[in-house]
Amino acid sequence: MEQFNWWVIVPVFAALIALRWRRTSMLTWFAAWWIGMFLVVRYGFTVPVPMSVVKLYMGLVTAALVAYVLTDAGRIREVTEPLAAFMTERRYLPYLAAVALFIPAAVAFGIYRDMTRVPQPPSFARTIHPATPAEPIDVHGTSYDLGTADNPYRELEETDPAAFKARVENGRKIYYENCFYCHGDVMAGDGMFAHALNPIPTNFQDPGTIAMLREAFLFWRIAKGGPGLPAEGGPWASAMPAWENFLSEDEMWNVILFLYEFTGHRPRAVELH
Amino acid sequence: MRRPDLLREAAAGSGCAPWRLVRRLAVPSLLLLLPSVAGAQDLERGKAVYDKYCSQCHGETGDGKGIAASRLRPEPRDFTAGKYKVRMTPTGQLPTDQDIRNAIRKGLGFPYTAMPPFDRGLIDDAELDDLVAYLKSFSSAFADPDAQRQPIDIPAPPPYTPAGAEAGREVYERTGCAACHGNVGRGDGFSAPTLRDDWGQPIRVADLTKPWTFRGGGRREDIFRTMSTGFAGTPMPGFHGALPPEDIWAITDYMLSLSGGPQEGDTVEAPYANVVRAVVVDQPIDLAAADELFAAAPPALFPLLGQIVEPGRDFYPSVVEVAVQAIYNQDEIAFRVSWHDMRAETTGHNAPDLPVPSWEEQLAETGGAAADEESGGDEDDFWGVGTEESGEEESADDFWGVEESGGAGDDFWGTGDEGGATTPDKEFSDAVAIQFPQAMPQGVVKPYFIFGDAQNPVDLWFADLGKVARDPAAAEITEADLWTGRGSAAMTPNDAGDVPEVVARYQEGEWSVVFKRKRRSRGGLSFNPSTFVPIAFSVWDGFNRERGNKRALSAWFDLYLEPFERPNPLPAMAKAFGGVLGLEILLIAFVRWRRRRTAPASADAARPATAYESS
Ligand code: HEC
Ligand code: HEC
Ligand code: HEC
Repeated sequence: MEQFNWWVIVPVFAALIALRWRRTSMLTWFAAWWIGMFLVVRYGFTVPVPMSVVKLYMGLVTAALVAYVLTDAGRIREVTEPLAAFMTERRYLPYLAAVALFIPAAVAFGIYRDMTRVPQPPSFARTIHPATPAEPIDVHGTSYDLGTADNPYRELEETDPAAFKARVENGRKIYYENCFYCHGDVMAGDGMFAHALNPIPTNFQDPGTIAMLREAFLFWRIAKGGPGLPAEGGPWASAMPAWENFLSEDEMWNVILFLYEFTGHRPRAVELH
Repeated sequence: MRRPDLLREAAAGSGCAPWRLVRRLAVPSLLLLLPSVAGAQDLERGKAVYDKYCSQCHGETGDGKGIAASRLRPEPRDFTAGKYKVRMTPTGQLPTDQDIRNAIRKGLGFPYTAMPPFDRGLIDDAELDDLVAYLKSFSSAFADPDAQRQPIDIPAPPPYTPAGAEAGREVYERTGCAACHGNVGRGDGFSAPTLRDDWGQPIRVADLTKPWTFRGGGRREDIFRTMSTGFAGTPMPGFHGALPPEDIWAITDYMLSLSGGPQEGDTVEAPYANVVRAVVVDQPIDLAAADELFAAAPPALFPLLGQIVEPGRDFYPSVVEVAVQAIYNQDEIAFRVSWHDMRAETTGHNAPDLPVPSWEEQLAETGGAAADEESGGDEDDFWGVGTEESGEEESADDFWGVEESGGAGDDFWGTGDEGGATTPDKEFSDAVAIQFPQAMPQGVVKPYFIFGDAQNPVDLWFADLGKVARDPAAAEITEADLWTGRGSAAMTPNDAGDVPEVVARYQEGEWSVVFKRKRRSRGGLSFNPSTFVPIAFSVWDGFNRERGNKRALSAWFDLYLEPFERPNPLPAMAKAFGGVLGLEILLIAFVRWRRRRTAPASADAARPATAYESS
């Protein structure tokens, strides 16, 4: 439920319900719905919705509202009557003139903004967690089927806590010799080199990262790094090193144990099919 | 995002060697904290927090030798010495508890040192107090309850004025800051390469033109405090009592004027960019007079990181950012890349394909000297001279013999030293490269940011400053090297492409390297107006023995060529204005005409859709 801005959504719908109840004119109702829907689409989500998507939704909302009005002659009259009055009656003349000038001025301003806007570099929406390779991967001569592979030392947690602790400690050493420059001293993706990188290093404290991944996925990402990503992950820009160049398999599994131990997250279990 | 309860888990789960705790707790708690029974408890809690968040750098015993220490410069602080840089107390006094709290909350110039700010919701105020007590327990200096820790007063600052800043320049020159910080504050003073801290480590002088990198903060009050109390354990002196406060404010403002004046707000932001915009110049690009042409080009500051992705890692690169400008005309395009360097290395050579031993091998090469502080007497250069042949003992600019007290013989800035003669000649020269994709990317795919990949090669415009600027004052115009990169293990000289011209100059601590090439190229990349071109940079500091893959590098950024002609928006605006207004008038006329014809009450003939379309 964190993806919604409730303090936008709740007041908008409260206002719309209140309007219905107060039986305002069809034109006000129409405008209120249009604005209300705009606010919800644009500001109702914690992750900002791109303007192109907002435009698409507002097109749909407009079509739906128009269709609703058109289905009944009474509603049509309720909407057109005030508009026609605005355009014809003498007492509205100054307002009409103002509106008639405002609209083309706004359009012209829009064009000015478009033509003088400083162009922004093309952006690339990378897939953060692409599917693992279907083929088994080779790490230091061992073949791993990522669909079924799992951390061989995870079970020590139950069977041999002392050995497990030693492995976590080894993982800690590896992390603070190699990883914290990017992923940060508390794994929040804010290491001392992070400001120079795009995409930024993953924040492991975030429940959207290692908490929803399997250890074999991490093993693949750690062993093969940025260059091992498929095209949708943007392998050319990721600074994540391919750690098979530096670390043994054991060390990679150990550092994975430490990532979970330090953050308090649990890995997603392997689904057996 | 961050979970404060992490900490409680840490506290619960920390099983530490009990004897160490006893030793640590016994002495100071008896001396200091006897009156409060809770004191011991506090240290225990402080230890739990410390072990989880600090010991990996500062070491379990507070000696600054944690896991990460050997790969960090400056090294994590050794708390046993009781020397703290950022203090409100005058030179010679211990810091106040509040000073230590501030250091922990604000960090020490992060990310330009590894000391991060702990303002991230992990440590609450009570735990912070425990932590401070625990840090103090590492050093016997704090055991004396009568030790003076009297903060200085910071008088209210006078308003910042350019005239005041200009007056500060005079004070700066008179006070002798330039001997370390350089004539215009770029960290290139003549004694800069010789400085060491109290732990025998080489220490880099601060670049006063970059307040965002300051350990003690870059706001006016921060700088006033730094200059007043100095940094304990380093050569940076305190001027409290030696200079009147007006003078200290004046130098502060002079310093800030070097980066465009003080910034608003509580922190000082680095003015980093992600695009460099090439502007049009309407005359031939003459490299001998490039300065004037570049005056109109807005500089873009790009952050660099140490190359720690591939073997040949550089954990503490010297250069942390480059400023870039670009200009072009019909035929040519030129770039100016500049950065601050405390010394120009123009002897030796450099190339992007030079082999670099692994980090472990680099340490082994120094014979473990890195860890061996006893091995004094060795005459070799601790910064990392690694020439095989012994050079002349006497040399015009030989700082080494002067300041050097024949110290540790270790080589921290430049691990990989084979040891050798005392000579200012460096094996590796400074160097810089601009990297472009060899062909303009179709779609989103780019070459790998570290020297390209097999499918998508990059071109490297490479300037070995030992070659093109052997006399850095001469500003001779020569040819750059052109390399093709298909990955850092597959670097080849590119003989087919258009070779850029280059001219480099080192002045007052700044390298400024200008490259120029034909704008359109047969084989390589062409630079077209109104397009974005991926661009990246690498800088090698010969002083730090950087070569090949051991270097500072950037991620991909963008170069944008401003269009030759900016289209004038007025005609399009006028057309749109007239058109929309005309439509409105037609609509209103139509509605009025209908109204007049039909009875006012029955408007059912008016077409509503038209009404909406117009709104
Ligand atoms: C040079 C910087 C850098 C270093 C050093 C680094 N990483 Fe990364 N890492 C990144 C970046 C950037 C990403 C995000 C881009 C990507 O997914 O490839 C990332 C992503 C990851 C991911 C994928 C997480 C996910 O949610 O998919 C894992 C796992 C990871 N890193 C583990 C490590 C470990 C373990 C180490 C140390 C052995 C390490 N990293 C060192 C930069 C780095
Ligand atoms: C990633 C490594 C790292 C971690 C983690 C870290 N530090 Fe530091 N710390 C450093 C470095 C490096 C310095 C030295 C910076 C300098 O001298 O410019 C430093 C310096 C300090 C100083 C000296 C301040 C001064 O004014 O001289 C204090 C105090 C300190 N750290 C406290 C802590 C505490 C408390 C923690 C844990 C909560 C911690 N540090 C965690 C790396 C680290
Ligand atoms: C003997 C050499 C020396 C002299 C003289 C000297 N400094 Fe420094 N200064 C240093 C060194 C070394 C550092 C870096 C300390 C560090 O990084 O811990 C430094 C750091 C600084 C900093 C940055 C502090 C920070 O927060 O990172 C400022 C500001 C500064 N000096 C100003 C001055 C001014 C102004 C003068 C003259 C009034 C001066 N210094 C004289 C050696 C010197």
